[in-house]
Amino acid sequence: MKLTREQTRTLAAAVGLDIPDADLENVTLRTSALVASMARMEAELGAEMDAVEPLPPVFPREDFA
Amino acid sequence: MAADELTLLSASEQSRLIRDRKLSPVELMQSCLARIERWDPLLRAYITVCGDAALDAARIAEREIAAGQWRGPLHGLPFGVKDQLNTKGVLTTLGSKVMATNVPDHDATVIQRLKAAGAILIGKENLHEFGKGGTVDFPYGQPRNPWNPAHNPAGSSSGSGIAVAAGFSSGSLGEDTGGSVRSPAAANGIVGLRPTFGRVSRSGGIMYGWTADTIGPLTRTVEDNALFLQAIAGHDPQDPLSSTRAVPDYATTLKGGVRGMTLGVVRELSWPDGANAEVVAAMKETIRVFESLGATIREVSLTRAKYAVPLQLLTSDSDIATMMLRKWLRTHWQELDVGTRTRLAAGCLIPAAIYHRAMRGRALVRREVLDVLGGVDALICPTNLHPPGLIEAGKETVDSEEAMEKKVLLRRISTYPFSMANIPALALPMGFTKSGLPLSLQVAAKPFAEATVFSIAHAYEQSAAWHTRHPNLENLVSGAKTS
Repeated sequence: MKLTREQTRTLAAAVGLDIPDADLENVTLRTSALVASMARMEAELGAEMDAVEPLPPVFPREDFA
Repeated sequence: MAADELTLLSASEQSRLIRDRKLSPVELMQSCLARIERWDPLLRAYITVCGDAALDAARIAEREIAAGQWRGPLHGLPFGVKDQLNTKGVLTTLGSKVMATNVPDHDATVIQRLKAAGAILIGKENLHEFGKGGTVDFPYGQPRNPWNPAHNPAGSSSGSGIAVAAGFSSGSLGEDTGGSVRSPAAANGIVGLRPTFGRVSRSGGIMYGWTADTIGPLTRTVEDNALFLQAIAGHDPQDPLSSTRAVPDYATTLKGGVRGMTLGVVRELSWPDGANAEVVAAMKETIRVFESLGATIREVSLTRAKYAVPLQLLTSDSDIATMMLRKWLRTHWQELDVGTRTRLAAGCLIPAAIYHRAMRGRALVRREVLDVLGGVDALICPTNLHPPGLIEAGKETVDSEEAMEKKVLLRRISTYPFSMANIPALALPMGFTKSGLPLSLQVAAKPFAEATVFSIAHAYEQSAAWHTRHPNLENLVSGAKTS
């Protein structure tokens, strides 16, 4: 997904952040790229993601599974 | 022995001389401080140098050792620390203007432990702002690579890598979320460890990536790295995620060798399209060395490694960004570096629906890494697919989709998969380019298998002997030369 600058500004407003115009394109490019990466992952791994739970960073099991 | 030679000995060699009273901690400290005074105006490894306090501590160490009260192998050795870890009474800036007057009232647990072992804090090291990679303009000076000051020392623990390579200290502590210990270790031609998550206490570190942040040592040799890890590892009630698992004696297994071991060469991280030819050649030669030492080599695949960087940015960056949002982003936007504020702003904007899916994606990446490790003793690959580039070319200015892809997402591909898996991974020298820039090998193993990592790395290091080369600072201005 490719966000517009205005969509980025709206997302930022939702968390109380006012991004100056000079940095808006930069933040838009970064956010768009991350969202697009997730879309590619969903297409490839979405069904598998449905079948796992997020894990804590520590290893609760001795076999590290 | 000349003062400059002393400073470039391994910490283990310095320690043996101190223990045998052939070297005074005061003499070593003075030599390191003299080197810092001469070269750091160019290299900018340090934000704060604790000269007087360090010399006072060295005099105390000298008296203790003379009185027969040698505390162990770190006694009297100077160490530096990334300016992201709290140090009592010493400025702790996080490389940011917004923290320019921050003086903590306590030491991080790892600092307490190094001091208890007799090591002496020599200074606070330069870093990417708040320990997040991508700083464009460094408020405390542009860190430079001691092998060639026009080149990048990598980050985010930039000063921690420079200082050890340049002989400013016996070792450093850095912080590694995605590759911030291993990358500067690689760029500066030294050894750097990301330990298993939970092996080393994070208490007293100012680091908000609670699912991935680790603290690890940067040293000139693998043996030194084991010494520093030995001192800082172990449970800490102040860190609720620190492990209660016993810490092994790393020295006893360090020299076990690799005969009979199976090492997995990660295909996607060793010779993908676009990898630098000198890196690929060095990796192939490294495989030959391991085979000559008795290891079996097997090519393995991590098909999900390609997702590690975006997954980490979608999750860890979001964790960090939400803390930064409340504290700084809303109110101090212009005081933060453009690389920091735009990266973290993007982290703030990731919807919860995506964040939580990304956390599930992380579980898949971790599972794949652990499954592959089930069939081998360790994984090996280059720490970076390219030698350290020019400083200006490496700045993460994001002005196009292509720049975002190349400068942010692809650059970190070699280190992030092991961060996502929360396993130990160590970078060590793997040779040099024709122009004299360091190349680096990465060794990763199962959770809490730091002893295995050290054993494999030590065997290679002793055979290849790249660690015996040091940057020739006398030739800094004229370009990259080695001694």
